[in-house]
Amino acid sequence: MGVALSLMDDIKSEIAVVDRATESAAEKKARFERDALQFTNQMYAAALRYTKNPSDAQDLVQDTYSKAYVSFHQFEPGTNLKAWLYRILSTTFINTYRKDQRRPLISDGELEDWQIYNAASHTSDQGRSAEDVALDGIVDLDVRSALAAMPEDFRMAVYLADVEGFSYKEIADIVGVPAGTVMSRLHRGRKLLRASLADYAKERGFNKAGQDE
Amino acid sequence: MSNPEQLSCDEILQTLFQYLDHELSSDQQYLIYQFHFQGCSPCNELMIHESQVLSILKELLQGSCNEQAPQDLHDRIWEQTEALTAQNQVGYFSSSTTSTNFTFDGATSIQVTQEFTYEIRHDFTEGQ
Repeated sequence: MGVALSLMDDIKSEIAVVDRATESAAEKKARFERDALQFTNQMYAAALRYTKNPSDAQDLVQDTYSKAYVSFHQFEPGTNLKAWLYRILSTTFINTYRKDQRRPLISDGELEDWQIYNAASHTSDQGRSAEDVALDGIVDLDVRSALAAMPEDFRMAVYLADVEGFSYKEIADIVGVPAGTVMSRLHRGRKLLRASLADYAKERGFNKAGQDE
Repeated sequence: MSNPEQLSCDEILQTLFQYLDHELSSDQQYLIYQFHFQGCSPCNELMIHESQVLSILKELLQGSCNEQAPQDLHDRIWEQTEALTAQNQVGYFSSSTTSTNFTFDGATSIQVTQEFTYEIRHDFTEGQ
């Protein structure tokens, strides 16, 4: 193969890259359709978390699948295809859709906050007060709104862990930060979300503790 | 982490979320449970409470964030796959999609992007 390629160096743009094995184009397409396209709904839900609007989310998912298909020969069969697709989704969002946007700076002090919260003594009931009690009155729209209002890094950490079930390490690979940072974002994100959902619950009058007073 | 048998309550609480996320080794998970939670009822109560809240949170999230992609999007992706196959784009370095969109942008640089770029370049080295 190396010989064949070197003979055609001058027309590199026309050269097919070495195939994963001897897989034909039709076989590769069938494999992609079977293995990758089953995640379209999940990718769309994730894209909605990133873009916060259906039109951009659809474009993002379509772009992601275009890139994924074009690069599909690089995917190592037997490894985590879903994580691979999410990584392309995340990278595409960051490079294309978020390019010109300024991001809120949240990385400063992330780890410190994590430590502070965790150092709280278990004898204190702060943080597990009424806020957790009323969460069962929450509706879907509340959850989506509360998530959408969170800083992106926290939102995506919570989404990838608690909806998709990715491990810290997998999330680290998907979003491109160390696992320790994922842990801190996830923790702070969950805390924010709990507080925010408790507020929604109160507004909706579902907070039983509030009603009893 | 030091020996789980000797951890203080504060140290246990610092690893509580890793514990609940099953991010510790199975040995550590077991030892922390066996040697701390079983014998320390305040920590145990807090652990159970946090575990329940986390379950509720996950349930709410999973129940809310399950939007279905519109049929139109499914169709577009299938058509796109057909079109890319017909254009012989797949696995070719000539694909502008691959080479431009993954190009590393200094302003929004992250590790993943670089790795991706590297992988793609790496695979195509022979053809360049």
